[in-house]
Amino acid sequence: MAKVLMKGNEAIAEAALRAGAEGYFCYPITPQTEVAEYLSKRMPEVGGMFLQGESELAVANMLFGAASTGKRVFTTSSSPGISLMQEAISYMAGAELPAVIINIMRGGPGLGGILPAQADYFQAVKGGGHGDYRTLVLAPSTVQEAVDLTMLCFHLAQKYRNPVMMIGDGMIGQMMEAVEFPESYEEPPLPSTDEWAATGALDRKARIIKSLFLDPVGLENNVLILEKKYQQMIREEVRCESYKISAENKILIVAYGTMARICQTAIDELEADGVSVGLFRPISLYPFPEKEILREATRKNIKSVLTIEMSMAQMMEDVERAIQGRRPVHFFGRSGGIVPTPEEVKEQVLKVLSIKRRTAKKK
Amino acid sequence: MISLVKQHRLPTFSKSILIIVGGYGSGKSEVAVNLSRQLVNAGSAQVAIADLDIVNPYFRSREASEQLTSLGIRTINPTGGQHYADLPIILPEVKGAIEQRQGVLVLDVGGDDVGARVLSSLSGSFEEGAYEMLLVLNGNRPFTADLDGCLKMINDIESSSRLKFTGIVSNTHLLEETTAQIALDGLELARQVSRRSDLPVAFLSGLKEIIECDEFDNVDVPILPLERLLLKPWESSAGDE
Repeated sequence: MAKVLMKGNEAIAEAALRAGAEGYFCYPITPQTEVAEYLSKRMPEVGGMFLQGESELAVANMLFGAASTGKRVFTTSSSPGISLMQEAISYMAGAELPAVIINIMRGGPGLGGILPAQADYFQAVKGGGHGDYRTLVLAPSTVQEAVDLTMLCFHLAQKYRNPVMMIGDGMIGQMMEAVEFPESYEEPPLPSTDEWAATGALDRKARIIKSLFLDPVGLENNVLILEKKYQQMIREEVRCESYKISAENKILIVAYGTMARICQTAIDELEADGVSVGLFRPISLYPFPEKEILREATRKNIKSVLTIEMSMAQMMEDVERAIQGRRPVHFFGRSGGIVPTPEEVKEQVLKVLSIKRRTAKKK
Repeated sequence: MISLVKQHRLPTFSKSILIIVGGYGSGKSEVAVNLSRQLVNAGSAQVAIADLDIVNPYFRSREASEQLTSLGIRTINPTGGQHYADLPIILPEVKGAIEQRQGVLVLDVGGDDVGARVLSSLSGSFEEGAYEMLLVLNGNRPFTADLDGCLKMINDIESSSRLKFTGIVSNTHLLEETTAQIALDGLELARQVSRRSDLPVAFLSGLKEIIECDEFDNVDVPILPLERLLLKPWESSAGDE
C-alpha cells in the first residue's frame, strides 16, 4: 500500500481497525478527539461498535463489560480522562480481561492544559489504580510506530488477558506524518477465548468474570496468577531502540516518545561539533528495559547518564533503578506542555560534560 | 551571491479577501502563511492574516505569528491563554477586517466541513464577488485521495460554510517524503476536480526544493513556493538560513 499522510490520532484509529478492533468506547478530549471523530465514520463501515459514552467513567466500565466477551475492544483519551478510568482498569486487570487503552497525554496535574506532555508516566507505568497489578505500557515516537504499536497492543492484550496501554504525548496524536499500513496483518497464534469469555451460557456452564475474592487465599492466588503474567512480560515484552550508541560516547541520553526525536536532532548537531552522545529509547515502559539500559550506561567511556522528559523526573526513577548507582544520572525536563528544544538538550549535555570536567580537575 | 532560483509564475489575485479552506492536513495553514509572505514580497501594502482554526489544538498559523509580524503582516489571533485554547473563539477584529477591506486579508480556516463551519457565522459580512475561497487539496490524505472524495469535500465545506469556492490549490504532498512525481500526480487530480466542479486551478504549491525540479518548467498554472514555517520541535529551521 502507498504511503498516506495522516494525523497520529487518525492513524491510531485506522491501525486499531486493521488489528481487528470490534468495539470502541470514547468520550472526547483534546488532544485525542480525532480518534473518535475518525472512528465515528469508519467503525460503522466495518460493522464494529462505536459508542460515545456520557463520561470517561462510563466509557471505562463499558470497556470492562465488552472486554468480558473476549472481543477486541479499546478506548482512547487524554490525561484527565485516563485518571477517571483508573478504577475500571484495576478491575479489568483483576478480572484478567484484554483491553487496549490509549492515552494521548496533555499537561497536568488537574485539568492542566492541552499541549503535549509525558507527565502520566507514573500513572501508566506504576499502575494508576489500586491493587497488585500492572499494565503493559508502550510508547511510540513516530506516527508510523504509533500504527505498529497500536496493532501490537491488541495482540498483547489478548496474549496476556491484561489491559495494555499505549501512551504518546499530544504531539503523537496531533502531528501529521507519512504512514504505511501493512497489506495484510498476520498475527502470531493466540490462546482461544473459548475457555473464559462471557459469550452466553446456553449450552454450557455459566462463567463468572470477577475481581472480588473475599477469601484471602483466593485473592492472593489471583494476585499470584497475575504476577506470573507480569514476570512473563518482563521476559518477553521488553522493547527498546538505540541511536548512535558507540564506544566514543561520553554521555548516554535516555528519552522516550517524541522527546527522543528532539534528542536525536540535538545528538546530530553535537556530533557535528565533535561531541559524541548516544541515545537509548525505551519503547516498552512496562516492562522497563532495565538490563539493556544498564548494559549501555556502563560502557567504558560513558561518564554520565542524562534522562530527558516532558515531565518532572518520572522515568528518571526507573533509569536510576536500572543503573543501580553505577553512573551518575542527571535530569532535564520541561513540563506543562512546553516541549524542550534541541538547543536546550545540547546545552544540558554540555553542562553535564563540564560538571564532569570540573570534578576531574579538582581531583 | 548569485541567485539561481527558478522564477515560476507566481499566483496573483484581484480580490482583497483570500479564504483558505480544505481538509485536515491538506496544508492550509502552511499555504496561508506562505501566501501572506508572498503577497508582501509582491508589494501588497497591507496584508493581514487571521487564524480561524477552531478545530486543531496544535500546528496552527498563529504559531508563525512572530515571523509574520516581523515581515509587517498583521496577525489576528486570540492572545494570552486563549492563544492555546481549542475553543470556538472568533475575535471581533476578524469581522471588522472583512468589512473594512483595507489591503489583503488572508483567512486561514480549520479543516474539513467542521472547521469551515466558522465561516457561516461570518458569511453575512462577505460581499459577493469580493473574495476568493480556495480549496487546498492534498491527494495523499485519506478522504481526498480520489475525485469522489474531493467533490464530497467541496460539497460538505460549501454547505457548512455557506460560501462558494472560487478555485483550487493543488498542494499534494507527503511532508519531507514528497517527490516531484507526487506533486505532479496531485496536480492531475486537481485538474480532474477542476473539470468536474468548474473551479479553476488557482495555483500549485510545493516546497521550494521540489518545485525547482525540471518537471515543473512547463506547468501551466502559477506556482507558490513553500518554505515550511510550522515545524515540529525536532525539525531544525537552520537549513533555511
